[in-house]
Amino acid sequence: MQATGMLGEDGIHVDMNHLKKGEVNLGTSIMAINFKDGVILGADSRTTTGAYIANRVTDKLTQVHDTIWCCRSGSAADTQAVADIVQYHLGMYGITNNEPPSTQTAAAIFQELCYSNKDQLSAGMIIAGYDHRHGGQVYSIPLGGSLHKQAYAIGGSGSTYIYGYCDSYWQENMSEAEGIQFVKGALQEAIKWDGSSGGVIRMVVLTASGAQRHLYLPDQAYKGPGKQ
Amino acid sequence: MPGFDFSNHNRNAALHAQGVPLPKATSTGTTIVGCLFDGGVVIAADTRATSGPIVADKNCEKLHYIAPQIWCAGAGTAADTEFTTAIISSNLELHALSTGRKPRVVTCMTMLKQHLFRHQGHIGAYLVVAGVDPTGSHLFTVHAHGSTDKLPYVTMGSGSLAAMSVFETQWKNKMSRDDAVKLCADAIEAGIFNDLGSGSNVDVAVITEEKTTLMRNFITPNKRVPKQRNYRFQHGTTAVLNEKVITREEIGKYVTVHELDDDTVAATAETMDVDQ
Amino acid sequence: MTSIGTGYDLSNSVFSPDGRNFQVEYAVKAVENGGTAVGIKCKDGVVLALEKLVTSKLLKPGANKRIATVDRNIGIVSSGLLPDGRHFVSRARDEASQWRGLYKAPIPTSSLADRMGSYAQAYTLYSSVRPFGVTAIIAGWDSEAELPVDGQVGSGPGVGSGGKKGGSKYGGPHLYMIEPSGLYWGYYGAATGKGRQIAKSELEKLNLSEGNLSLEEGVKEAARIIYVAHDDNKDKEFELELTWISSLNGPTKGRHEEVPKELKEEAERLAKKSLEGDDDDEDEDKMEE
Repeated sequence: MQATGMLGEDGIHVDMNHLKKGEVNLGTSIMAINFKDGVILGADSRTTTGAYIANRVTDKLTQVHDTIWCCRSGSAADTQAVADIVQYHLGMYGITNNEPPSTQTAAAIFQELCYSNKDQLSAGMIIAGYDHRHGGQVYSIPLGGSLHKQAYAIGGSGSTYIYGYCDSYWQENMSEAEGIQFVKGALQEAIKWDGSSGGVIRMVVLTASGAQRHLYLPDQAYKGPGKQ
Repeated sequence: MPGFDFSNHNRNAALHAQGVPLPKATSTGTTIVGCLFDGGVVIAADTRATSGPIVADKNCEKLHYIAPQIWCAGAGTAADTEFTTAIISSNLELHALSTGRKPRVVTCMTMLKQHLFRHQGHIGAYLVVAGVDPTGSHLFTVHAHGSTDKLPYVTMGSGSLAAMSVFETQWKNKMSRDDAVKLCADAIEAGIFNDLGSGSNVDVAVITEEKTTLMRNFITPNKRVPKQRNYRFQHGTTAVLNEKVITREEIGKYVTVHELDDDTVAATAETMDVDQ
Repeated sequence: MTSIGTGYDLSNSVFSPDGRNFQVEYAVKAVENGGTAVGIKCKDGVVLALEKLVTSKLLKPGANKRIATVDRNIGIVSSGLLPDGRHFVSRARDEASQWRGLYKAPIPTSSLADRMGSYAQAYTLYSSVRPFGVTAIIAGWDSEAELPVDGQVGSGPGVGSGGKKGGSKYGGPHLYMIEPSGLYWGYYGAATGKGRQIAKSELEKLNLSEGNLSLEEGVKEAARIIYVAHDDNKDKEFELELTWISSLNGPTKGRHEEVPKELKEEAERLAKKSLEGDDDDEDEDKMEE
């Protein structure tokens, strides 16, 4: 494998888009936000191998415990493997400690895996979860494996196009409807401008009443069908 | 001499240094597809195996047995699809035996993806996994790096674009068994005719709750037929200008002549000493 | 056979015909001769106290501490064979650090007790090992605050997390006692060692289950109980060891620490006084309190 980064006089250069030859890529737009009653995760649905769309209805929102989910970006194989391992750990935690793991616990395990295997992984993850004690929480783990607790997090190739959108439309303590509109609006822009993002918009809303999925289709101008 | 002989390593290193490329693995430049229907799942494949530009096998089998109700269509490196499906088939049977349950398609898919992920893409197996288990009918794709997708219809291999165009235009929700078989066969034919890496015949497997039906060479659109004309030259077409007979004694001055005991044994140019 | 009895007490992995593991019972005997150790769960913290018997005049007073800190918020005291206790503590520290390594957060006291219980139990199963000659008391305060993940950057939305469900209390004091068999229970008040019977009856009088006892009262009671329990054993010298863990807004800020000198001396003074009261005229001294 070739080196993916180099140290120049003006700093470290890392090839963020490096993938192994023929690897399935989640050229992606993902995000998760805090809102009044919990968190909302959102993602597009495009999976690519080079120029080919290997899956146009991908589900990049992956459940790792009852009310802890993650958004995956980067290599599909790497992120699926990491999410599977975390799901195993959280399942064991819940059983052996007689209480469900917190979002912090999930974030810690994700970070440990992403950091200690950083040389071999291309995985950018956003973790979002809800529990009665801590409410909704959003954590972001970018490529190097650092852990950031954020009010909202965006990720994937499409996120570069929506920093401005998110910065100007972001409000704290939004209602559920406002939150959904924020995520949907941001992802619509990301899909519009990023060639590697597209397809449907998937969302998961995590609150005290559990997890609820949403689906918005491009042929209905991302208006429906809504809650599932 | 007993023991291992590593002299080929030096030869290979020398050849490599001179720019001689490694021999090519036989790859199944392939079209494979799968489709769920009401009551089961169909998978199908073409039958061409290639080695670079050469058609290595005109009628190979790309539908692999995993369990009675779980089958796999393989694309990529032929040896890798063959051995990967074989090892997972074996482990899945042991798993089924120890749990006393019928194997599940997700289990098979998980074992495949973990095996392939562990080898970081070096095992070039691209698979369509299909089957029926107590939880229902399932269809997955597994890529060489270990990523998986779950979809109602799938295509893989070099002919996947041609095959997908058939699915994207003709697929309907809740198809009948016969419609699904027809659709899959059409998709493979699209690969056979439009993709250079795919060719020859269509193999189909239909898996339902009751049974699995493997339809080997379900369609043979490339049958070998007698030539319309004979292109062979008649004996005596080329004129004989002169003739010379060389005796054994005479040629024996220049080369060693071996006497063959039996007409059925072919002459060997070189022999090799082996430990008896 | 007569010279070695029934033989059922020679190996750990062998049951006697009536279903007893003699090695475990002998380990309990070892504990019964150790200095008294006491743990009290109060409403705003936990106290650990130990009667450390002074075995030589050459030992430096106040040195050779026996109550160990396992994680910042957890302490362990044990009674019985000292080296066994130290090994037990060492394992507990490993467990706590392993937990931090994986989950980037302090281990909950209940999880540590569970793991240490399993560890002690494993030493009753194999013929190659003997059970721990200790009964250990584990005291901890699980943070009532929302802790960040170790190493995280940032703190989320400025207005705080949304959707929290109020009404429930999280974290708080915990007290567990693990026996040589691996058996462990959670307690309001726990006692082990030579004076355990007296200590237990004293603990029962405190009505700890009502949850009214404050941490400072708990410290004084713990000291008094150690002194009362030692009373039968008057000829031997002993030293009192006292540690506590308070809530985050209490004196130790959720950490396991030694009780400060002034408070300890006060507790000892009161303890001695209450003993004198027992011996002499009870009424007079009680009026002074």
